[in-house]
Amino acid sequence: MRHFGLHAGLWLAVALILLPPLWVLRTSLVPESMAYSTDVFPAFSLENYQSLFGQKRFGTFYLNSIIVALGSVIIALPFAAAMGYAFARFQTGGRFGRFLVLSLQMLPPVALVLPAFAILRSMELTQSLTGLTIVYAALNIPFLAWILMGFFEGIPVDLEWAAMTDGTTAWGAFWRIVLPVSLPGLAAAGVLGFILSWNEFLFALVLTGSKTATIPVALASLQTSNGIQIGKVSAGVVLAILPLIIASRFIQRFIVQGLTFGSVK
Amino acid sequence: MASIELRQVSKIYPGSAAGVKDIDLSVADGEFVIFLGPSGCGKSTLLRSIAGLESITAGDILINGEIVNHVAPRDRNIAVVFQSYALYPHMNVWQNMAFGLRMRGSPAEEIDAKVKEAAELLGLTPLMQRRPSALSGGQRQRVALGRAIVRDPQAFLLDEPLSNLDAQLRAEMRLELVRLHRKLGRTTIHVTHDQVEAMTMGDRIFIMKDGRLIQQGPPLEVYANPADTFVAGFLASPPMNLVSGRLVEVGDGLAFRTDGAMLPIPAAFRAAYAAWAGKPVIFGLRSEDFHAAPNGDSSAPLTLQVEAVEALGPENILIGRLAGAPTQVSARLSRHYSAQPGESVTLYADLTPMHLFTPEDGKAIPRPRAAPALLRRHA
Ligand SMILES: Nc1ncnc2c1ncn2[C@@H]1O[C@H](COP(=O)(O)OP(=O)(O)OP(=O)(O)O)[C@@H](O)[C@H]1O
Ligand SMILES: [Mg+2]
Repeated sequence: MRHFGLHAGLWLAVALILLPPLWVLRTSLVPESMAYSTDVFPAFSLENYQSLFGQKRFGTFYLNSIIVALGSVIIALPFAAAMGYAFARFQTGGRFGRFLVLSLQMLPPVALVLPAFAILRSMELTQSLTGLTIVYAALNIPFLAWILMGFFEGIPVDLEWAAMTDGTTAWGAFWRIVLPVSLPGLAAAGVLGFILSWNEFLFALVLTGSKTATIPVALASLQTSNGIQIGKVSAGVVLAILPLIIASRFIQRFIVQGLTFGSVK
Repeated sequence: MASIELRQVSKIYPGSAAGVKDIDLSVADGEFVIFLGPSGCGKSTLLRSIAGLESITAGDILINGEIVNHVAPRDRNIAVVFQSYALYPHMNVWQNMAFGLRMRGSPAEEIDAKVKEAAELLGLTPLMQRRPSALSGGQRQRVALGRAIVRDPQAFLLDEPLSNLDAQLRAEMRLELVRLHRKLGRTTIHVTHDQVEAMTMGDRIFIMKDGRLIQQGPPLEVYANPADTFVAGFLASPPMNLVSGRLVEVGDGLAFRTDGAMLPIPAAFRAAYAAWAGKPVIFGLRSEDFHAAPNGDSSAPLTLQVEAVEALGPENILIGRLAGAPTQVSARLSRHYSAQPGESVTLYADLTPMHLFTPEDGKAIPRPRAAPALLRRHA
């Protein structure tokens, strides 16, 4: 009976968390005119999605988001890996260096938007995906470096030493041992960076134009002077969180995987 | 082939006082030596310094007479078995063992042959495709050993390579390592906590404590002539009995007096110990030097109040106290001699191999050296 109570409580919690997104999904799949109906599912329609991909050019924005998020992660990862490794293995910069990296995360993004805009404008990179990708990469580096530092610290230095006595250079040990062993960590960091860039709104709003908008900006633009088109917004939200759901499945797998299990006592 | 020499080597970890200090030692080409010492005394640190994995704070490390302080680990061509095994977790057993040869660009057939040979030797053949995570502790240890063996290096540094094996496998591997050393003739430094390994495997043992080298020499010689109470206690199980008391003059001889016993000092040591007459000393005698019956002219009777008996099978160890004395004493007797806890028994101490140590720093008071037990038998 105690189990029954426990399960009921858990189901309640699950419902509380899942109800809003499920309602968004429901709203995206009913005609705009029935969006506010109190019926659970008054009628099925794909008109919201059709309109998004048709006249609202959501396909372009979707692609923009993917390019920017993927691009920024691909640029940021090698730098972040090098940085995290230096912090973890050589204590580069000491505690102050670590604090510096962490403190970047505490800075309110608003403080960085205008300088970023000024810099991009001088390079004529505003309203371009390239500019936004570079900025996202820069924002990602300290965050990913911090995560990877934790992964690298979990890899026993003995592994590198073994490789070095086995005939590699220090660089070879990093390349042949540390990197392959920390692949799950790199993947997890990559996915987190992707999510971060995917969700980012403020920089995207300031740094992109009508053709180069990303999903969050496009979603915001659905809020017009005629009011919020709740059906389309819901459809947009569903599309926006789809990749995140896939990504979090990946991340789970990587994080659950033991890192160096079995290599040392 | 390599000789290894350390001159005044220190390695102090930044931000702490821990590490090794002023180590002077030399290992001849082809020699098999043992590093022995309690946990944290710096054995692994010293090994890593020799392998070039830690930069030393002071001193010189020489391999084949050349200073190698700044030579990269891979150019020292030394194989290390790490205390933690340090197997590459993303490679299977075969790849782990082949890694070193591949890094040195050996031809594929040669790699395969060597890995197979080592695997056969270590009983790893059925496990070649497994990842380290799917191996038991003892199997991992053997892979680590195999990885070192296949490389055919100038020297082996083995950091407690048998610590995780069960008793039977350990005994086999002990012999196997010695046989391997005889076959390959490679200079080997073997770190261990194990008494048996320390006594039986090496040409010489180096005993360390708190980052310093305390004593070195052939195992039996160190056993017969410990430099201080630490070595006396460390290199045996049960440890040497150490009893505090006073050296007194009795007639024209000397005797060691403590609560519950008065032991005459053998005539051969009288001159050496004369200066300590009347002073407090620590008396040391190994547990196997107690006998159930008088044994030669330097036997002295004493009474042991038995508190516990450890029957090991081949022998019985009696643990107790000399009448009323605070210090515990253990006596190793044949399996035919036993006693009940609570009983008082008379034992005979053979005083020929006795030692005296100073109470201040525990150093052995010099006396004519006892010949190692093995040599005495031939004499
Ligand atoms: N990277 C390090 N930084 C600071 N101190 C260290 C470091 N590695 C080891 N030490 C310290 O140096 C001393 C010697 O350590 P070491 O690992 O060499 O001991 P050991 O004799 O191998 O011990 P064990 O038998 O437990 O393996 C210890 O006090 C240890 O705490
Ligand atoms: Mg150690």
